[in-house]
Amino acid sequence: MSSITVPDLAADAAGGSEPGTGPAGIPWGLVLPPVLFVVALVALWAVLSAAGLIPRYILPAPGAVLNEFTRNYAVLARHAAYTSGEAVAGFIIGNAAAVLMAIVFSYSGLLKAAFYPFALISRAIPIVAFTPLLVIVLGRGLPPVIAVVAIAVYFPAFLNMMRGLASADVDYHEMLHTLSASRWQRLKMVDLPASMPYLFAALKVSASVAFICAIVAEWIGANVGLGYLVVISGQYFKLPTLWAAIIVAAVLTLLLLALVVLAERALRRWTAAPGEI
Amino acid sequence: MASQPGESGLSIRDVGMVYRRGEQVTTALVGCSLEIPEGNWASLIGASGCGKSTLLRILADIVRPTSGTALVGGVTPAEARAARTFALVSQQSTMLPWRKILANVELGLEVAGVDKVERKRRAEEAIELVGLKGFEQAFPSELSGGMRQRAAIARALTLKPRFLLMDEPFGALDEITREKLNFELLRILKETSATLLLVTHSISEAIILSDTVAVMSPRPGRISHVVDIGFGHERTGAMRDDPQFGAYESELRHALHGPAGAPRPMATPSPSHALA
Ligand SMILES: Nc1ncnc2c1ncn2[C@@H]1O[C@H](COP(=O)(O)OP(=O)(O)O)[C@@H](O)[C@H]1O
Ligand SMILES: [Mg+2]
Repeated sequence: MSSITVPDLAADAAGGSEPGTGPAGIPWGLVLPPVLFVVALVALWAVLSAAGLIPRYILPAPGAVLNEFTRNYAVLARHAAYTSGEAVAGFIIGNAAAVLMAIVFSYSGLLKAAFYPFALISRAIPIVAFTPLLVIVLGRGLPPVIAVVAIAVYFPAFLNMMRGLASADVDYHEMLHTLSASRWQRLKMVDLPASMPYLFAALKVSASVAFICAIVAEWIGANVGLGYLVVISGQYFKLPTLWAAIIVAAVLTLLLLALVVLAERALRRWTAAPGEI
Repeated sequence: MASQPGESGLSIRDVGMVYRRGEQVTTALVGCSLEIPEGNWASLIGASGCGKSTLLRILADIVRPTSGTALVGGVTPAEARAARTFALVSQQSTMLPWRKILANVELGLEVAGVDKVERKRRAEEAIELVGLKGFEQAFPSELSGGMRQRAAIARALTLKPRFLLMDEPFGALDEITREKLNFELLRILKETSATLLLVTHSISEAIILSDTVAVMSPRPGRISHVVDIGFGHERTGAMRDDPQFGAYESELRHALHGPAGAPRPMATPSPSHALA
């Protein structure tokens, strides 16, 4: 088993640590290289800036961006809070709706047949492009942004959940049938656990989609949030603010992704590991 | 239900089964009849593909026969399933990969709504019975095929079924474990006075575990021969040395490979067959 692709599975199954895993279970072999890469990149950035090789109006010196975090902390935090709220709210609403609808649709062949093709087509539609329309319907502010995020994360979760709910081996269904299990028991004991790897695959993609959509939607639909901050600071050539906002957005995206991964690990006891289905 | 007196066992009457999958039509069973009185132990043997699993799946209400009737305890398989009077151990040990062994063995009781404490107690008891003690907290992927099969047997036993339907349950086991479990199963059957219908491809296993051995012949599948095994219900490993055991064995071997004259490499049974 490769420790690169599935570091957590092997450690969980063996109930202990494997080579490259520290005592706290942190896989340093995986964490260290990218951290060192970022450090090297920032160092290069600092050196090139100090030498005057990067124009200030494109990329200010790291010190200036760092200074922005301390000096403009309150402004960044306020806008970040709005964007996080929108992204997380949209993420939860969209995914919850997707899971519920996938469950309902998996019970009804007719509903599935009617809606499924459109869900498939939806992958070709840039959801953020609907922001102006949603602003007309919902007004400016948080609602259209949350709506854009919810719709954008809805479709991948719905499609994967439909596939996941249908993924369980027919042998499992036959076994539950002979045990006289109800549809609800079958859903709870077989179909939902079997669908979780599919759902989490979608959630991991959606975690970044949520923030990207929230930021882009804010350009058009809101006068608050990191997206708004990026547009404004770009217009006024406040480059340190622009870069600080981008860095904050990236960190927030990673935090949401980390939460998804933690949730997946916490649920592992009740779900199929990817290799087992 | 058209129930007749003395009809509380397993009853297969003139059952036919035709599978249709698009253009492809497979006649799996034709005119199968077999009566297994309640409390009796019976085996089905036959070449693979002759419809043994199909017959068991009809009794377990997984598929409906295209003709004829099947009764489990005097009622239809669907009614028997609703009343939870039978348990099926299928050919592939279906263990849910995301449940530990204990939780997998508890599954039947959980579905039946038995409370937590009671189902843990009964599951642990069954796990000990099949020799899996110490593996309660293991995931199925950490066990060998034979161990998973034993867990599947344990799951069936927790239900204390009146009818135990087993489809090649010991197929994945080594000879030693297999025989040990054979006698373990006999003890359990006597204790619970359950009725057994076992599918196996081992002639000696069929004799050890049965009062009645039904031989199936292929294409189309039907029951071609029934042999009564007169060993009673007090059985030990010594029964293998009984000359009668060898006689049953050769009778079944003949039945299995067709009448004299049919092409088969060995026409005369020899005592060495007992080792097979
Ligand atoms: N679900 C099915 N659909 C179509 N054909 C089937 C199905 N199940 C079994 N068969 C066919 O029925 C015949 C009997 O199969 P089976 O009952 O599994 O035999 P056995 O258990 O004796 O090996 C085989 O020819 C098999 O291909
Ligand atoms: Mg079979």
